[in-house]
Amino acid sequence: MEQKKCFAAVDFADDENVSGYLYWYLCRFANVEEGDLVVAPLGRHNNLQQGVVRQVLFACEDDAPFPVQYVKHIRNLVKTDAESLYRIVKKCELNSTVTMMDIYAPLVAKKAEAGQFIILRVDDDGERIPLTVAGYDRKAGTVKIIFQVVGATTIRLNTKREGEYIADFVGPLGCATKTEGLKKVCVVGGGVGCAIALPVAQKLHALGCEVHSVIGFRSKDLLILEDEFKACSDKLTIVTDDGSYGRKGVVTVPLKEAIESGEKYDEVIAIGPLVMMKFVVATTKPYGIPTTVSMNPIMIDGTGMCGGCRLTVGGKTKFACVDGPDFDGFEVDFDEAMARSDMYAQFEQKERENCNLFKKEVR
Amino acid sequence: MAVQPKKYPMPVQDPKIRARNFEEVAKGYPVEVAVKEAQRCLNCKNSPCVNGCPVNVRIPEFISKIKEKDFDGAYEIISRSSSLPAVCGRVCPQETQCESKCTLGVKFEPVAIGRLERFAADYHNSKICEDNVNVQENGHRVAVVGSGPSGLACAGDLAKKGYKVTVFEALHTAGGVLVYGMPEFRLPKKIVKKEVGELEKYGVEIKTNVVIGKTITIDELFTSGYEAVFVGSGAGLPRFMGIRGESLKGVYSANEFLTRANLMKAYDYRSHTPIMRAKKVAVVGGGNVAMDAARTALRLGADKVYVIYRRSMDELPARKEEVEHAQEEGIRFEILRNPVEIIGYCNRNDRQDPQNGFVKGIKVVKCELGEPDEKGRRRPVEIPDSEYVIDVDCVIMAIGTSPNPLIKNTTVGLEVNGHGGIIVEDGTGKTTKDGVFAGGDAVTGAATVILAMGAGKTAASAIDEYLSKKEK
Repeated sequence: MEQKKCFAAVDFADDENVSGYLYWYLCRFANVEEGDLVVAPLGRHNNLQQGVVRQVLFACEDDAPFPVQYVKHIRNLVKTDAESLYRIVKKCELNSTVTMMDIYAPLVAKKAEAGQFIILRVDDDGERIPLTVAGYDRKAGTVKIIFQVVGATTIRLNTKREGEYIADFVGPLGCATKTEGLKKVCVVGGGVGCAIALPVAQKLHALGCEVHSVIGFRSKDLLILEDEFKACSDKLTIVTDDGSYGRKGVVTVPLKEAIESGEKYDEVIAIGPLVMMKFVVATTKPYGIPTTVSMNPIMIDGTGMCGGCRLTVGGKTKFACVDGPDFDGFEVDFDEAMARSDMYAQFEQKERENCNLFKKEVR
Repeated sequence: MAVQPKKYPMPVQDPKIRARNFEEVAKGYPVEVAVKEAQRCLNCKNSPCVNGCPVNVRIPEFISKIKEKDFDGAYEIISRSSSLPAVCGRVCPQETQCESKCTLGVKFEPVAIGRLERFAADYHNSKICEDNVNVQENGHRVAVVGSGPSGLACAGDLAKKGYKVTVFEALHTAGGVLVYGMPEFRLPKKIVKKEVGELEKYGVEIKTNVVIGKTITIDELFTSGYEAVFVGSGAGLPRFMGIRGESLKGVYSANEFLTRANLMKAYDYRSHTPIMRAKKVAVVGGGNVAMDAARTALRLGADKVYVIYRRSMDELPARKEEVEHAQEEGIRFEILRNPVEIIGYCNRNDRQDPQNGFVKGIKVVKCELGEPDEKGRRRPVEIPDSEYVIDVDCVIMAIGTSPNPLIKNTTVGLEVNGHGGIIVEDGTGKTTKDGVFAGGDAVTGAATVILAMGAGKTAASAIDEYLSKKEK
């Protein structure tokens, strides 16, 4: 005899576009009851959203409430302690191209340290992208990410709203930034790299280290995290390329001035675009100040399997996901890393065009 | 009755058509052919084939069941020894294992044991059966790290004995190399899903997106109530040759190329995963992974695919069937060649040229076979001044991996050997850390699915013994 399957009708009450309508799903959780919260893919883009089960039905294929070959599956039953439901607890746009999100991921939040990264997938057929941890709240079980809306996946991620879910969130990966024994450090951040530099500065500050921060942006409109940096830096210098805020120029100028004026840094930590880190290293090298850079090459698995994130450091092949992402700036082959970073530039360009078209279509 | 001297041929997709699609190459025996092939088995007295199988599937018994058309019975016999019959029937190198020992093989072609195993498994899987299996739980909890062949085998055996097993997987899908490494045309993903689902019926819980050694450490597994841990974390960092040009754009490790194509579904035009759809591809290496990479590149639209291998065709370590399939599909074998440099495009007059930094060729040197090395394989010797350049725009390195370093780096008391493989006791899989067992590529370095599965099963029985002793 044919087995009966479990169907559930879900109402997505929080979504004003569809609230009140019932959608049938196949449910692999046989213990589902009316009133349960579930997460299920909705719409043609399969956004994972939370809804309430209004009706449960066990039926054979022939009497199914919806053709079995078309029906979607409920992704998960929501329990209050669900570890594998990555909910966007908070979302805010820091500027026109940079977004911050707090994601509920208690296992990751428990272990995350400054300098480490996570890998996420927005939806079930999405790409895996690495993002560096921009903060964490161990008690609330959330991890903060800050990303620039630049590629196909970050555009997708940015369409997600507070309360929605992302498909996968794994970490913390890579090694934490080494902070032991540092007494005086200059943290240099560039653009969205400041989001990664911030937790490092905060950690150093909390350890009683004297922190000087130099953060740079293209213009005032793109400035992020000014107050946060102020709170954890003994000295903060802001530069913009066009001079629309703070000093005009690039980060290496105030850095060089500080060094020449006699500031004795134990270490310089630079996080930002590859070209910025390359020039920070060129600035500090003549003075022999140890310089750590945070590399963010293209990655897939992030656990030391695929080898896509390889770099040449000190003439040897290293893997950013397990050996890094922090490396000795004097040893990194930046030119090679820069060449490799635009391997898929043309592909991304095509995706971006597709995405813009799609945006026009919905509006 | 005269013995049919040859195996009944496997129905396959036409090479010209299949070279451009990702559907499974071999279609499987129809019922009548399977029964006829089973009748070739002599049912000889000492059944040497069983010893040729790393997990000792009772081969003559299941073949007899197929002869009797009791296909469920055949599946039942296989599944007593093997946790992944539909997978092994497809990917095992039978010609060096069970089939190499077949008595019929002395005079004729051996019985097609692998194809019959696949037949029995596919027959079973094609039927709807969604009933959960009730196993008497014994109250012990075991953690399995990695959901590849060794982890799944270990988890399956323990769950059948009543252990509460949790499998932790770092990626977003369970299956390990079966989903990220094996291409769709060789092992359809729905088969892996089915086999994983089979384990879930026995109460095995699978937690994806958890990296043991990072998200949770081995020691934390013990403090959170697991009494034993099996580490089957698999292959790790890909090896490179250390020649010039390996960082050029268009040089992939086979792991990266196959992960993009399989796990991330880059073969599907609807996928968002970027991958180079190169026209001329060189794959370096001669193992199964090299064959998979070469044939995947072909299906992604390459016109010419070269497999560069430094020994001769006789030494190719890949499964014979895969090599034959690759040749039929038009893969060119550049044997007795060793790469010495990968050459990149460089337009000195225009630094903005988007082609700069991409691969444009691979320089190889001709080799001849010299004296046998310690393993008995004849060592390739380079012929001086015989270099030439093969014109390609993508190079895939498939020359092996070293074991994954994450767990070793975060687990005190777990010792590894010079190659990074976890040190284990033969016959039990016991590591140097109490309560921790290991198997598969994490121990041996790159090997086969069936060997990993065997190691998982060995460890499962050792864990059972360890925990039963502890109870007393």
